[in-house]
Amino acid sequence: MRPYIDKKNKMTQQIYLGLFIIFFIFSLLQVGILDERIFQAFSRVENLLKGMVPPAISEPIDVAGAAVESLQVAVMGTLWGVVFSIVLAMFAAKNVSPHISISYAVKAFAAFVRAVPALIWALLFIVAIGLGPTPGILALAVNSIGMLMKVYAEAIEEIDTGIIDALKATGASQFQVVMQGIIPSIMSIFISWSIFRFDINIRYAAVLGVVGAGGIGWELVRASRVMAYDEVLGITLVIFGMILLAELVTRFLKDRADMATLKAME
Amino acid sequence: MSSLAKQIDTPVEENKVPDMYKDLQRRKKVILKNRLVLWAIIAALVTWAWTGTNFSIAFIYTGTANMAAFIFTDLLPPDFSAFGRYLQPALQTVYMSLVGMVISVIFSIFFGFMAAKNTSFHPAIAFTSRAIIAFLRAIPALIWGITLVVAFGLGPLAGTLALGLSGIGILGKAFADVLEEIDQGQVDAVKATGASWFQTMGQGVWPQFKTGFVAWSLYKMDLNIREAAVLGLIGAGGIGYTLQGNINLFQYQQASVGILMIFALILIVEYTTAKIRERLL
Amino acid sequence: MSEVVLETKDLSMVFPDGTQALKNVTLTIKKGELVSIIGPSGAGKSTFMRSLNMLNKPTDGQIVFEGENVLKARGKQLRQIRRRIGMVFQHFNLIKRSPTYQNVLHGRLGYMPSLKGGLGRFSEEDTRQALEILRRVGLEDQAFKRADELSGGQQQRVGIARAIAQTPSLLLADEPIASLDPSSSENVMTYLKNVCQEDGLTSIVNLHQVDFAKKFAHRIIGIKAGEVVFDGSPKELTEGITNHLYYSK
Repeated sequence: MRPYIDKKNKMTQQIYLGLFIIFFIFSLLQVGILDERIFQAFSRVENLLKGMVPPAISEPIDVAGAAVESLQVAVMGTLWGVVFSIVLAMFAAKNVSPHISISYAVKAFAAFVRAVPALIWALLFIVAIGLGPTPGILALAVNSIGMLMKVYAEAIEEIDTGIIDALKATGASQFQVVMQGIIPSIMSIFISWSIFRFDINIRYAAVLGVVGAGGIGWELVRASRVMAYDEVLGITLVIFGMILLAELVTRFLKDRADMATLKAME
Repeated sequence: MSSLAKQIDTPVEENKVPDMYKDLQRRKKVILKNRLVLWAIIAALVTWAWTGTNFSIAFIYTGTANMAAFIFTDLLPPDFSAFGRYLQPALQTVYMSLVGMVISVIFSIFFGFMAAKNTSFHPAIAFTSRAIIAFLRAIPALIWGITLVVAFGLGPLAGTLALGLSGIGILGKAFADVLEEIDQGQVDAVKATGASWFQTMGQGVWPQFKTGFVAWSLYKMDLNIREAAVLGLIGAGGIGYTLQGNINLFQYQQASVGILMIFALILIVEYTTAKIRERLL
Repeated sequence: MSEVVLETKDLSMVFPDGTQALKNVTLTIKKGELVSIIGPSGAGKSTFMRSLNMLNKPTDGQIVFEGENVLKARGKQLRQIRRRIGMVFQHFNLIKRSPTYQNVLHGRLGYMPSLKGGLGRFSEEDTRQALEILRRVGLEDQAFKRADELSGGQQQRVGIARAIAQTPSLLLADEPIASLDPSSSENVMTYLKNVCQEDGLTSIVNLHQVDFAKKFAHRIIGIKAGEVVFDGSPKELTEGITNHLYYSK
């Protein structure tokens, strides 16, 4: 029987592989990868690069202002995302939620919010409340909630019940159990996820302008519309620098905090 | 037993315990000072961002209220007659994601092998590859899309290439990291049999690389479908283009069909990749 | 030696799924006694011990601790009973990311106002006391390390220190050495016994190793299927009784 099953499995695998290849080739044709443009790719990219180098920024003040706005939007989006996620996670985590049905409802909400991309949220918020940085902030906050609430709730659900028992056994009150037992245990998970989310939000904030939600993305779209290739490269480099700078700052702060803790505990 | 007994017999050293308390106070001060500095920096950042964006707490309420009003009066109920118009772009989104993934996987294998210290030919090549990968990763797919639309014109080609490029940034790093963590002993064992470079890679490296390779590639597919859904907003093909058209024309009930389809696409792709992961790993 | 610290009368517990964990357990523990409860796993040792400070709620019976009815206690009264009962756990149950001395200070939470304790504003006196207790269990060098950096045996000593910081009149230890290697087990049991004798503590220790129980306890109680089947001195615990406890159906 065994060789027959192996043979059958192999057959199924080959059929799946075949189907995948057919679908892939079909996809290739559909996205126009065999378009004549791809055969001119070298000359096109060469032209593009010629237009791009040297990079330029025609209105440095506007671009710098837009980059600053993107960073500010990322900070605010992360702030509200973290604040609301912490509150909602208390209702989502099964072991602290007032009722199991509330936990399921909040988790379903998070799953829905997560499955709609941040940029679509931005698009909707622009229609709902108008242009400017606020729709961007709210879109990032909503998108962050979808992710952070899930990971926060999981961290709370994974708390060792033993530490709760141990503190209760000393005669600690509920408030003391939370403050002295639960928060110290989950704090570092919360912090590392929040920092990770901040890094993601900076990338999103850089592109939010594409749909009109403020920031440097809009400058890039503007430059590309007028075919100012040198400016497209210039602004791309600014975005690159902005993301790098923000990551360096968060890493520096985190390392500093860790160092101090280590120094105090050695 | 004996050590404790000794401690009880010998008189308590008067200066030792107070010293410890002082030591504790000193350590607490170090942590406290550090926390204060950190919170001050965070508070400064928030204040800077808050005033810079003219934010107000009221916006949270009005934003939520307006969004709810918008969803319930404008977006709902969805006008499913638009379904036909969204079907083709939705499929195109899937094609773009798939081709983008394959492109980034192929190039990432190359860059990954070059970037990993233990499989690269030369440290200089490894460093250069790491730098290229880092650059590609730092720039979001949508930004690549804008540049590529300039080069290749509107349509799915630019979007697909953008997914491929930004994918090299993610997968190249992931593959290189996986490769650097493989057990060199197994590779050396194959090498010792006199195998060629290709044979060593196939028999010594690949079996250890496979799991990470499959998991990361499928993860990239999950990411791609999200990115591809929004690439249309800049005209780089896919469902986002149709969605923005509807929104610009205030056809919100049709737009909600587009949003639901994006939602469904993401769930279907995530379900499928999860199934494939289960089967292959 | 004759003052009664703890008394249980017809203590029974039935789990929601219908399992009878405790059956009419009636015991009297006197001041200064070092009692060891032995029995196979699943016999109800832990359930009994966790009932004593209401970490789980018995379905029937009575517990009287220093003249107070434990099962009737609620809120503040229950917390005041709990702070006089120190507890040591099998898995130590320390706050892993907090420093060792902080874990010992947690023993003082029951004596502090809720807010002050929650914010960790421990008094100088309590802090000095905690450091002194750490010295007693031989961990003064580890006082500022994170709890999870310590070895298993050291963590359990921190667990003992936390219980002692409560200045309890009764110490409960639920399988304190079940997760430790033999040499750490010996060491931890020695510290436990010494601390109890120095402070004149009454203590109840759940153990499944009979040899440890015989070596350390004044009195041994055997529990099987939720019922007390043996209660006597270590000398009275014969091999026949042990076999009955652990092996016969």
